[in-house]
Amino acid sequence: MTGRVCRGCGGTDIELDAARGDAVCTGCGSVLEDNIIVSEVQFVENSGGGSSAVGQFVSLDGAGKTPTLGGGFHVNLGKESRAQTLQNGRRQIHHLGNQLQLNQHCLDTAFNFFKMAVSKHLTRGRKMAHVIAACLYLVCRTEGTPHMLLDLSDLLQVNVYVLGKTFLLLARELCINAPAIDPCLYIPRFAHLLEFGDKNHEVSMTALRLLQRMKRDWMHTGRRPSGLCGAALLVAARMHDFRRTVKEVISVVKVCESTLRKRLTEFEDTPTSQLTVDEFMKVDLEEECDPPSYTAGQRKLRMKQLEQVLSKQLEEVEGEISSYQDAIEIELENSRPKAKGALASLTKDGSVEDTASSLFGEEDAEDEELEAAASHLNKDFYQELLGGGVPGSSEAAGGPAGGGRPPALESLLGPLPTAASLGISDSIRECICSQGRDPNASGDGELDLSGIDDLEIDRYILNEAEARVKAELWMRENAEYLREQREKEARIAKERELGIYKEHKPKKSCKRREPIQASTAGEAIEKMLEQKKISSKINYSVLRDLDSKGGGSPHREDARPQERAGARKLSRRKTPARRSGADPVASVGKRLRPMVSTQPAKKVAVGEQALLPSPPSLEAEPVRPTAVVVESGPVSYHPEEDADEEDPDEEDGEPCVSALQMVGGDDYGCDGDDDDGY
Amino acid sequence: MDADSDVALDILITNVVCVFRTRCHLNLRKIALEGANVIYKRDVGKVLMKLRKPRITATIWSSGKIICTGATSEEEAKFGARRLARSLQKLGFQVIFTDFKVVNVLAVCNMPFEIRLPEFTKNNRPHASYEPELHPAVCYRIKSLRATLQIFSTGSITVTGPNVKAVAAAVEQVYPFVFESRKEIL
Repeated sequence: MTGRVCRGCGGTDIELDAARGDAVCTGCGSVLEDNIIVSEVQFVENSGGGSSAVGQFVSLDGAGKTPTLGGGFHVNLGKESRAQTLQNGRRQIHHLGNQLQLNQHCLDTAFNFFKMAVSKHLTRGRKMAHVIAACLYLVCRTEGTPHMLLDLSDLLQVNVYVLGKTFLLLARELCINAPAIDPCLYIPRFAHLLEFGDKNHEVSMTALRLLQRMKRDWMHTGRRPSGLCGAALLVAARMHDFRRTVKEVISVVKVCESTLRKRLTEFEDTPTSQLTVDEFMKVDLEEECDPPSYTAGQRKLRMKQLEQVLSKQLEEVEGEISSYQDAIEIELENSRPKAKGALASLTKDGSVEDTASSLFGEEDAEDEELEAAASHLNKDFYQELLGGGVPGSSEAAGGPAGGGRPPALESLLGPLPTAASLGISDSIRECICSQGRDPNASGDGELDLSGIDDLEIDRYILNEAEARVKAELWMRENAEYLREQREKEARIAKERELGIYKEHKPKKSCKRREPIQASTAGEAIEKMLEQKKISSKINYSVLRDLDSKGGGSPHREDARPQERAGARKLSRRKTPARRSGADPVASVGKRLRPMVSTQPAKKVAVGEQALLPSPPSLEAEPVRPTAVVVESGPVSYHPEEDADEEDPDEEDGEPCVSALQMVGGDDYGCDGDDDDGY
Repeated sequence: MDADSDVALDILITNVVCVFRTRCHLNLRKIALEGANVIYKRDVGKVLMKLRKPRITATIWSSGKIICTGATSEEEAKFGARRLARSLQKLGFQVIFTDFKVVNVLAVCNMPFEIRLPEFTKNNRPHASYEPELHPAVCYRIKSLRATLQIFSTGSITVTGPNVKAVAAAVEQVYPFVFESRKEIL
């Protein structure tokens, strides 16, 4: 008791009465506090004589049911969001877990993971189904059950990589280290599915040995475990004289056929594949292999080297051939009459003139030049590989006139397109000088134009004609999209004119309805019906009568113009009237299923159920509201039962009807038609 | 580790992504019609402009925000961004080159040995995560550098980070661990 001071007299002697919940000053007697909330334990006496503590258990996570002090009845009928989420999650976990045949312990662990995830707000922004699946898979991994992520994605029809992402995130956030998947775990499961009968165990053992061998041979890093399993099982099956085709195996293992073939070929490359069956069972080879991708890489490198060597040799051969060619040509030239003097210069261009002049002059040089030209022309692309500009053959020719060749080549091939003629000299210069540029500070915001060549940038901008052409092209390309846009706009304009244009606002969540406060059941029904707007054709007066007395004709009008004037007259049709009578009573305080208004038409069409609403049963309804079953799920469907019971009722009009019947057992049943309608 | 100093690993930068703002509204239609190397995606509301010299693809939004990808070094990225801004200026917009920032750098590196991935994952538990069902590489995240490395069993490593320095530091950091779990060539 903290030292409080009395307001009246200023005294500090204040007495707390726990029973009445008062704080009274003993000096002047003024009441300082009323209705103090105390934290004492109270006991009440049970019917059996024992006493129990008063109170409710409240869970740590949620706040539990907050009693509304004098408030409405239906404020917190559901628990708060957190508890609801957990409950929902638990249900889904059990549902999925049962499909995967997980035991209870696993499911509980999964639920614990889920609770942790919820408390860390990991369910926000993610589909609940994904999170649940991730929790379950986490459990599978930690327990080591042979469930694959693919199984879960199969069940949920979700992309496996999406699930994988969620799973990885969950594992990271919860700091749970899932042990790596061992392909050996999957063997028994797949073997079972492949139905090896008695020899199941042996085949599994062989497959396991194969897998271990694969591991040692570095085939398993970075590969899907299921693919390796598939290959191992296939080989093991063949070893034991079982005929399992590739198709069967892949349908069980869920990998692609080409993957399986690839694994088999890789295995074939290992030395183990050379052993016979018996040898394999006895001996285990010592050496290990390199991973297949590594060997593939090595092979490529070797191929490249081979190519280079070959190309060199090819060059030499070519060089020889061309030299022979040239020699032959020269001979021919020599044998032909030569054009001399001015004419010669006129007929041939300058480049050939050079060679022509050299023809008379140095035949050796000319030889070399021609060779050089030929080899240059022939082996242009080889030069890239070798990285050398000098053709090998010219070296073979020996004593090349090194200085003479480059200009001769140039003149031979004619004026090469120089940078200047192409007009990119600026760009090249800019490229070169750009290396030396130091980066500009981005603080000032001004564009630093150093090193930027305007000319080239100008080239990026099209001129008028080009722009027009481009616009034309773009229009043609995107014609459809533009047309759609125009149509949409036209539609909106038209609707606006007509005044029926609906602005598509983003969906607002439906407001929580206020709880209905009514004094009698009838009033409650009325109010609820008004709110729900189920049927404007319900005769409220009759509803009220229901409440007030048992007899009287429950006269209900419906969409169907069926007269039920003579209340005793029972038509052999399922009437919605009865149902709508049953419904409100049955579903007071809970969400009414929208079946009521649409069902009448349907049930009429069906007309098979001979549910006879007997007035007595209707009478009985208000009398026994407590017997009404509050359903939270689909009610079982007993047409026969009801049909049997109806008959005697029809005659006698007995009030003793089963609750199920009264409530309308098969009316609530899940007919296939109902669901289709929605 | 002595292994560090022996081998000079060459880290090849393959992609640099950067962003900058022009602080002015850009008329995408005009850019699309008058630009030479542009793709106009009207449904999404952006223009892709490709430059030849620093091979760069830029995504331009009408708000003036631009993302540049495809450069092979930070300087080149900046250079390309400036050229882009200059060309926009020439088209007639009042462009101001602000807020240039290199956002992402992608580099590739090759180890001269293979790596045992399951062993590596076990030794580097919180940072490394390996899901053979999903991806053949180990994903190693370094929070302090904000870098992610993808380590393959052949020894090649792909690094992404906020800048070139972080990428280099990440490779330095991970090298000893990778060296531990290497596969000895017999």
